[in-house]
Amino acid sequence: MFDFLIHGFDVALSPLNLGLALLGALLGTLFGALPGIGPINGIAILMPLAYTLGLPAESALILLAAIYTGAEYGGRMSSILLNVPGDAGAVMTTLDGHPLAKKGLAGPALGLSAVSSFVGATIAIIGLTLFAPLLAEVAVMFGPAEFFALMVFAFASMSVMMGKDPVKTAIGAVLGILIGTVGVDSSTGVLRYTFGLPELYDGIDFVVMIIGLFAISEILLMLEHANRKDGNDGLPPLGRVFVSLKEVLACKWTMGRSGLIGFIIGILPGTGASVGGAVAYTTEKRLSDKDNSFGTGNMRGLAAPEAANNASAVGSFVPMLTLGIPGSGTTAVLLGALMLYNITPGPMMFSERPEVAGGLIASLYIGNIVLLALNLPLAGVFARVLTIPRWVLVPGIAILAFVGVFQLHSNLAAIYLMLIIGVFGYLLRKLGFSLAPVILGYVLGGLMEQNLRRALSISGGDLGILWQSGISLGLWIAALALLLLPWLLPKLWQAKTSKA
Amino acid sequence: MKLAADRLLGIVLIGLAAFVAVQAMQLEVPFSYDPVGPRAFPLGLAILLAALASVLIVKPGTNEAWPGRQLGVKLLLVLATLLVYALLFTKLGFIITSLLAVASLSRIFGAPWGKALLTGGLMAVVSYFLFAHALGISLPSGYWVEPLL
Repeated sequence: MFDFLIHGFDVALSPLNLGLALLGALLGTLFGALPGIGPINGIAILMPLAYTLGLPAESALILLAAIYTGAEYGGRMSSILLNVPGDAGAVMTTLDGHPLAKKGLAGPALGLSAVSSFVGATIAIIGLTLFAPLLAEVAVMFGPAEFFALMVFAFASMSVMMGKDPVKTAIGAVLGILIGTVGVDSSTGVLRYTFGLPELYDGIDFVVMIIGLFAISEILLMLEHANRKDGNDGLPPLGRVFVSLKEVLACKWTMGRSGLIGFIIGILPGTGASVGGAVAYTTEKRLSDKDNSFGTGNMRGLAAPEAANNASAVGSFVPMLTLGIPGSGTTAVLLGALMLYNITPGPMMFSERPEVAGGLIASLYIGNIVLLALNLPLAGVFARVLTIPRWVLVPGIAILAFVGVFQLHSNLAAIYLMLIIGVFGYLLRKLGFSLAPVILGYVLGGLMEQNLRRALSISGGDLGILWQSGISLGLWIAALALLLLPWLLPKLWQAKTSKA
Repeated sequence: MKLAADRLLGIVLIGLAAFVAVQAMQLEVPFSYDPVGPRAFPLGLAILLAALASVLIVKPGTNEAWPGRQLGVKLLLVLATLLVYALLFTKLGFIITSLLAVASLSRIFGAPWGKALLTGGLMAVVSYFLFAHALGISLPSGYWVEPLL
């Protein structure tokens, strides 16, 4: 049953892949530590380079996955030291992390968060190893109708869980799907929404899309913070650099519980590290905050979200690898990256491309150890990254974005398109949208339409096929329940309390 | 009452939905065995988008603060820099345009002139050697290299 893992370690331990995991871990931590650049921007900016190197699919995926997990490690730096979350997953880390730094315990806080991240990720990687092949076996039975229902469920779950405003999340997803319909329709050859521009016949290119949406819009957004005080002189002293074993052991159950919570939440489609961190933090506060010290620099309050956000980052690989449905914005980008290699992740991947699935999982084990080894002694070095001024950072991102898009297409149309998408992304963010649903819609939309049309050509146009099987019916009901839940719960709650 | 940004957005989105639907209806579909065809999916999305946009008009949500005049000017400057970078990228070549773009961005993001130019020069040359020589990416050297001058 674990043949894929043994094979995977063979792949991941080759000198090239080992080196890439190291490089990715290092780059990911650096990018995650940079203010404003989370895992998704990091991958968007660095992905074109992975193609330039001409890497095989499994090596590219190993590099990108290492950047992803590395960025989750790096995100905590600015949370703890500056009270500015490096990315959405690290928001809860500021609550107790920054107070600890103010007490002069920045060093131990960084150390503890590295250990918690390691423990959380380890729990989730073991979960992934055990759970993914089982889920893949179930998913083999899925036909197009089931996949369509599954995607509807994924979008429903995302609308409810992700972002503050469910309506805007849903609109973002629809816009993403619409962007995905541009180009030639694969089954009839009809051109859609190309407006006679040959550059659009192949659709809006994935790399152009994510670099525009994330890197360019980030540059525009950073302008607002340019006037604010940067962390240049505000970096608190690290204090002693190592966390003591006693402090770690005091948090061992917190890490275990939070890792498990994070993993389970990560599996649900659309719920990334931010939800995992928040749920783990509130759970831990309820369970172990006896003296009401959460929020004032409690070590457990730091360990809980840190273990959980790394665990959900890993957990979101489960639906991506087994069902082809990404669990988060970042895995959506990884999914798109795999599709560029003509690999459609799904249940068959474990049997047909074991070097990709197994290699990735094995590299997560290795990368996680590398990250702990890098982050404990080098915390002080990574913290320096925070002092890089924006007037160096922003032009650097611009060069990487231009070179990345230009080397793929060697034409300027792609660069103009990237700039237009960047402005579009900026406007969306200013209007209170989160970008993850847009990218999920863009990546999944094509598959969703294909599955819908395949199902309906099997049934000869009869819509009934979409909810005929038990699995798809169950998914439709689950999706409906999820959408109604936030609306029903307060009413039920009211009815209960008014009776009492 | 001030028109909420979300209401305006809702109206724009309904317009977009109508546009998507009209474009989809105008697609000429050759005969095929596919009972759905290329129209239905975008049409469904247009209907969904219009419905969601109506919700937004009835119940607008919250937005981030819009940039003031000073920030707006900077924003346009950044966009202009990026656009000029793109326009001249192949004409003047990577090193020259990157130098100019980096210096300009640096300056907009608050660096003094000297530091901005130094950053531009260093970043343009170092990244050229990194990308073109170490990674083997072909970057435009620019027409000016050829004896047009």
